[in-house]
Amino acid sequence: MSKRLKQNLAAYGMVIPAFLVVMLTVTYPIISAVIQSFQDEKTGAFTLDNYAYFFTEPAQLKNLLFTLFVVFVTVAIAIVVAYLLALYLRFTKSKIAKTIGTLYLVPRFVPAMCAVYAMITIIRDSGLINRIGLLFGMDIKLGMMYHASGIITMNLWFNIPFAAMMITAGLGAIPDSIIEGARDVGAGKFKTFTSMILPLSIKDVIIAATFVFMTNVGSFTTPYLMGGNSPKMLGIALFDQFNKYLAYNRSAALSVIMFLICSVSAGVYIYTNLKEQDWEKQ
Amino acid sequence: MKMKRFVAALLAGAMMMTGLAGCGSSGSSDNGSAASTSKNKVSLWATGSDNVREVYEALIEDFNKNSEYAGKYEVELNFMLNGTGTQTLTDMLAAASKAGQTDTDYDLVDLGGDDLSKVVSQIGEEAFVKLDDSKIPNAEGIEAESSVAADYVQPYRGTTVVLAYDSEKVANPPKTWDELVDWMKANPGRFAYNTPGTGGAGDSFARTSVYNFMDEEAITSDDAKWEENWDDGFKYLADLHQYMYTSGGSIVYPNKNQGTLDLLNQGEIDMCPNWADMVLSQRAEGTLKDTIKITQLDPALTGSFQSLAIPTFGSNEEGAYAFINYMLSESAQEILVKQMAAIPLIDTSKIDMTGFEDVENLDVSSFRIMSIGDLSTDFNERWDNEIGTLG
Repeated sequence: MSKRLKQNLAAYGMVIPAFLVVMLTVTYPIISAVIQSFQDEKTGAFTLDNYAYFFTEPAQLKNLLFTLFVVFVTVAIAIVVAYLLALYLRFTKSKIAKTIGTLYLVPRFVPAMCAVYAMITIIRDSGLINRIGLLFGMDIKLGMMYHASGIITMNLWFNIPFAAMMITAGLGAIPDSIIEGARDVGAGKFKTFTSMILPLSIKDVIIAATFVFMTNVGSFTTPYLMGGNSPKMLGIALFDQFNKYLAYNRSAALSVIMFLICSVSAGVYIYTNLKEQDWEKQ
Repeated sequence: MKMKRFVAALLAGAMMMTGLAGCGSSGSSDNGSAASTSKNKVSLWATGSDNVREVYEALIEDFNKNSEYAGKYEVELNFMLNGTGTQTLTDMLAAASKAGQTDTDYDLVDLGGDDLSKVVSQIGEEAFVKLDDSKIPNAEGIEAESSVAADYVQPYRGTTVVLAYDSEKVANPPKTWDELVDWMKANPGRFAYNTPGTGGAGDSFARTSVYNFMDEEAITSDDAKWEENWDDGFKYLADLHQYMYTSGGSIVYPNKNQGTLDLLNQGEIDMCPNWADMVLSQRAEGTLKDTIKITQLDPALTGSFQSLAIPTFGSNEEGAYAFINYMLSESAQEILVKQMAAIPLIDTSKIDMTGFEDVENLDVSSFRIMSIGDLSTDFNERWDNEIGTLG
């Protein structure tokens, strides 16, 4: 055996277990789900009905649009707030900034279920805010439970710290010397931001946005506990198809639809990463 | 040196694979060998909410330490929390039976309601041991009988859905369905039932509403022909829709039994259907207001018996019989009442019912038992599409 062959074999030997696990637990189920999504429930013949169902049934179409609405609003607000927070943390050197810098990740350590119930007890129509209002003679009914606004609020709780963490890491990589350099040649604060900080951090912002987008498309706990009956988010619709109606072929089709929605944002993520490599080559 | 590294890599790879293979098969080998090694061990399988797990843990401790069988048999609980999305107990039993497994550790299973009728329709009642009454002396005098596979399963507790209401707000709770509807019309937005498919209370309310329009025999049938007769009932539910709980400007059916119970406790609604045991045990613990009371409608909301059955493919029939007999003993029935406000099946005069007097009024002989098996799937789907989407 040549040295090179031995080395190659050793390398493959190390990769194969991981490769097989991925094939078995990820690739195979995906392929079989895609096949199942094109099969008729009873006959197993080829059909597009499973997909047509989600785009023609009014309730299902509403679910799809509702999910996209909730997700886009979540992404937009989460990213703007997180970016502002990250900028503040990166460029302010005060005690308050330092304290916020250590505390802002705390929501990430609260178990999802506890956080959701905590939020419910605060915002529900008979919750904390309502009770405080009653002390002052006001009957405040937020109406956020079983409503998109409640789900979005909860999503922000989970996603702002996450997005801020990613963006802060990106901003941290911008050397102070660049900013000082810009200042030296006479750039104002706004100019420094638009021509230096923003271009250098936009990649991290986009990546954070794609991650927030993907995790929210399939979210379950929050919409299950805080959402209404109709429209529902796709995670719940999928649960209904799979666990309540036992419609496995339709579940497969809905999974593929959700996968495709996510892959749009995965595409953006990959494109952003590739673009950087081009820039590095020059 | 290089050769050594190569071998090490291969070994590491091989070990990982066997490790994985081990993971894959350990589940099934557990099923087979664990029980046969010690003949006095009885594996009990149950599923449900967390209160079911808690009561079983207390019962098993009592059985293993204090009962007449202490030292002779040792029961071990395998519990699956419902709604966690994993494989259900019914699927596991059906799979084990259809795969022709024998001598598994499915020694004793706890089943009831739809689960029981599902299992029976999938693998037949013959998949369970036909119960020999002489081995369950405590069952003598117990009238409760399962509506499905009566000779093969032994009921041990009853539970029923009732109307829970806040007695501070509702002085005279409705006694009939007509009175309930009148009350809803007079108090719009003060009633809620949970989405069918997310908890038995909502299931019971929606199904009872629909089956009140149908022949009494339909209520225990899983024959698909009855689906044609659902229309009147669904129209009734659609008419009631406008009087339901409102939040955020639209009508809402909360998910899960606890969802409506929370609303009732918070004062956002005044009445909801819920499980008698859930309401009474939470009230006893102090998590529900004392003013929350229960009442039953006529015709009644549905109840059911929870039963124990011995799969033929289990491996400790004698031990399973011993535990069934224990479950009908006075001490076990008292634990069931005290811990989960279950409705006892033995004479209540024999057990201490202090604090649970409400349970005594729920007579098991007037139970309305519903088991529509797989029709429940279609029912929930139709509800989601017709009622859930009304907005």
